[in-house]
Amino acid sequence: MHPSLRAALGHQPLIKFVGKRVWPSSPEPPHAHPFAPKDIKDHFSDFLQRFQSSKSSNPQAHPAAPAGLAPSPKKVAPSGVNVSGVQRYQEFWEAPAQFWNPRVHALEEWEIDAIQTGGASLR
Amino acid sequence: MLQLQRSSQRGIAKRVLGSSRRSYASGAEPYDAVIIGGGPGGYVAAIKSAQLGLRTACIEKRGSLGGTCLNVGCIPSKSLLNNSHLYHQASHDFAKRGIDVSEVKVNLDQMMKAKETSVTGLTKGIETLFKQNKVDYIKGKASFVSPTRIAVELLDGGSTEVEAKNVVIATGSEVAPFPGGGIQIDEEQIVSSTGALALKKVPEKMVVIGGGVIGLELGSVWSRLGAEVTVVEFLGGIGGAGIDEEMAKQFQRILSKQGMKFMLNTKVLGADKRDGKVFVKTEAAKGGKEATLEADVILVSVGRRPVTEGLNLENIGVEVDPKGRIVIDDQFNTTAQGVKCIGDVTFGPMLAHKAEEEGIAAAEYMKAGHGHVNYNAIPSVVYTYPEVAWVGKTEQELKAAGVQYKIGKFPFAANSRAKTNLDTEGQVKFITEKETDRILGVHIIGPNAGEMIGEAVLAIEYGASSEDIARTTHAHPTLSEAFKEAAMSAYQKPIHF
Repeated sequence: MHPSLRAALGHQPLIKFVGKRVWPSSPEPPHAHPFAPKDIKDHFSDFLQRFQSSKSSNPQAHPAAPAGLAPSPKKVAPSGVNVSGVQRYQEFWEAPAQFWNPRVHALEEWEIDAIQTGGASLR
Repeated sequence: MLQLQRSSQRGIAKRVLGSSRRSYASGAEPYDAVIIGGGPGGYVAAIKSAQLGLRTACIEKRGSLGGTCLNVGCIPSKSLLNNSHLYHQASHDFAKRGIDVSEVKVNLDQMMKAKETSVTGLTKGIETLFKQNKVDYIKGKASFVSPTRIAVELLDGGSTEVEAKNVVIATGSEVAPFPGGGIQIDEEQIVSSTGALALKKVPEKMVVIGGGVIGLELGSVWSRLGAEVTVVEFLGGIGGAGIDEEMAKQFQRILSKQGMKFMLNTKVLGADKRDGKVFVKTEAAKGGKEATLEADVILVSVGRRPVTEGLNLENIGVEVDPKGRIVIDDQFNTTAQGVKCIGDVTFGPMLAHKAEEEGIAAAEYMKAGHGHVNYNAIPSVVYTYPEVAWVGKTEQELKAAGVQYKIGKFPFAANSRAKTNLDTEGQVKFITEKETDRILGVHIIGPNAGEMIGEAVLAIEYGASSEDIARTTHAHPTLSEAFKEAAMSAYQKPIHF
């Protein structure tokens, strides 16, 4: 039915056409899961506390920032940098690749064979 | 150790990486996302993550993708449900439709092969999707070394470790044992859903413990193939959690007419195997009155439990609730930063499509910090014949919440297509908010209810009123007209009833 006819009949559709989703640029704050048990919902701040402290108790844990929004490498160089000139990083992968991704990091099949056969496979 | 590392490196190079020089070893660039578990939640999360540009790997220990759903759950059971229904129709229904057939027989081996063909095709299909989307597929058992580092015991020997910026736990669920350990599953005579999908012959008598979705579906399969099936349920109704009470009663009547027997409000005490039979001891749920049921096979379908064993969650501070579910927030974060969790292993109904939605949302949260799952619009379907499907609220939930509502119903007996199909059992029931006419719940029993519920899910997702549905043209003659007329019934009156 044409929308104008609908209006004439007095029917106002409740359906909401939200169109293409556009996310805000900043991440939304977390809430309790809708299916979480009542005691977890009631004490959600405890969950958040444990979530936040998991970072400090486990230095390797990834920051909460989503991968796509991950800022450029966070340089943790509060006091030391200026003095020593040493760049510090929270995560090893934030450091220049040469430090954790050396050019030769995986042996080729023929190289492994060469090692295992004492070089015989190269002949 | 050196040998082990070397062999696993070589294995990985052959299996997954092809010509790529990338390695899972610690020196390699970490993945943006590693998904543990390749079931409906996990594989969807992996594909979506890769589609969003995240470098992704999926670790699966089963050796084939698809999880319980594809391997020993939804998919094989639907194959058996479909084919057993065809057999049942040919045996009991064709004659009244003017089709005379003789010597209709069950070839169980062939039926099982058809099931396996479906399963294999679909699981291999996911592997192809992984390749198309550049998801690295690691066959092995994962265990956390740290929130960003996972050790993998590879299925064909050796081990490796992968590094990840984000990890999603999607390890699913497994059959829950009978409470108290009084019944031990042997998958031959005393079977779980897994064993019930692979019985070697049709049992004469079958007892199903638990009248939920799994028990009713698999009970239906063997009932159609000739077994005398008795369903024992502790509660006062069948259909499991979330089913509308009125629909549950109608559903039970229909299944009873088909030959299934029901013992409600009945507790199972234990089961003994003797002389090739199984004897199931029961008593009334409120105590007293004991009885013993004899069966060739019993199916224990009392629920499922989350799978977290071996993940080493305690090592990384991921909290688990008393039911074994991983505690998460609404963005699927666990108590360990960088580790998310979706699907059966955490809160909510254990449904493949719920896990899939969470998989997509989790990937979006990892990429953009936003995602979407509407837990008010998760449909449930029981794939018996007729099917039962629902979404949204039940009458009993609304009564308990003090919400004023209206009901609109339309029986398939008044639907032209159902009548021409000689398939008129069931109805569509709308529940709407009295003041606004907004649809709060839809409940359907009828042929193809599982397909029809999609329209109700869409309506609830977008906040439709019953009048919105009622003013939408539905093709004639189709079963979907019953859906429209039930909507008409909710806000005014139906035409054909």
